[in-house]
Amino acid sequence: MSKFMKYAVAVAAATSLTAAAAQAQSGNINAKATVLAPITIAQGAELDFGNVLPGVNSTVAASSGATAGRFDLTGVSGANVNVSFTLPANLTSGANSLPIGSWTACHNTSASQAGCTGFTPSAGTTSANFVSGALYVYMGGTVSPAGLQPAGLYQANVTLNAAYF
Amino acid sequence: MPRCATFLMLAAFLLARSLAGQTQVSGVRDLAFGIVIAGVPTTVAPTDPVKSGQFYLRYVTGGRVRVRLTLPTTLNRVGGGGTMPISFRNGDAFILGTAPGSVPNPFNPGGMLNYRFTGSPDANLYLGGRVTPAAATPSGTYTAPVILTATFF
Repeated sequence: MSKFMKYAVAVAAATSLTAAAAQAQSGNINAKATVLAPITIAQGAELDFGNVLPGVNSTVAASSGATAGRFDLTGVSGANVNVSFTLPANLTSGANSLPIGSWTACHNTSASQAGCTGFTPSAGTTSANFVSGALYVYMGGTVSPAGLQPAGLYQANVTLNAAYF
Repeated sequence: MPRCATFLMLAAFLLARSLAGQTQVSGVRDLAFGIVIAGVPTTVAPTDPVKSGQFYLRYVTGGRVRVRLTLPTTLNRVGGGGTMPISFRNGDAFILGTAPGSVPNPFNPGGMLNYRFTGSPDANLYLGGRVTPAAATPSGTYTAPVILTATFF
């Protein structure tokens, strides 16, 4: 065999070696997401303590009565939702404050306080489910007017935050 | 055929078989955007320890690999009836060796990456991205495959 042939064979073998050493493999994962329609939140009813007397605590129950506050939520049927609140410490009337001693709440999948599930709104996040696409959250509380509480209309915002989980 | 050529051919065969036994590419974790609200773009960073996608690669210390990802442009609704765009940008992926002191090597997942296994024979590749569901995107689960092809040298 000529020198040229030997060289050609050696190059071919080396090329084969290199090609054999390069090898491809593949692996798979999935990209995935769950799309849900946005949650809507509407004010169903205001939490109304009505007329309160200085020095006399006044309570509105969340689970009964027409003066409880109510939030109306809609979401995807069957989806889980976390609910939390931004709660004021006081109702205000100008520079005057009316302390809110405590908060109560309950939720239901129908627009009824009967049989609603109670929870403490100031305790953090509460979980619920949009069983049939709707959720109603009722709010109650206790205001504690001072003995010399100035007369006036006291009010504050209560904010409900909701997110799927 | 001369003996040297025969030897080289045999060496090539044995080397290929030997390397084939040492290479590994596997999907470890899906790129999971979780719950996405229709109309609201959602991003997952490649550094997200839970939601980012993850592949595992293994070869030999000092070996080289060329990595190419086959990326979807849309996720498809399971059961049909909708799609959702998904996109990737430069820096949405990085590869990280498992040796102590390894430094993340970020890259554009739409391109190719050449990587050398330094200090250890294995590495993990992490992938982020973003989905941009339209406001009218139907509710449901959306998915699409991501394929990593690795060529080992």
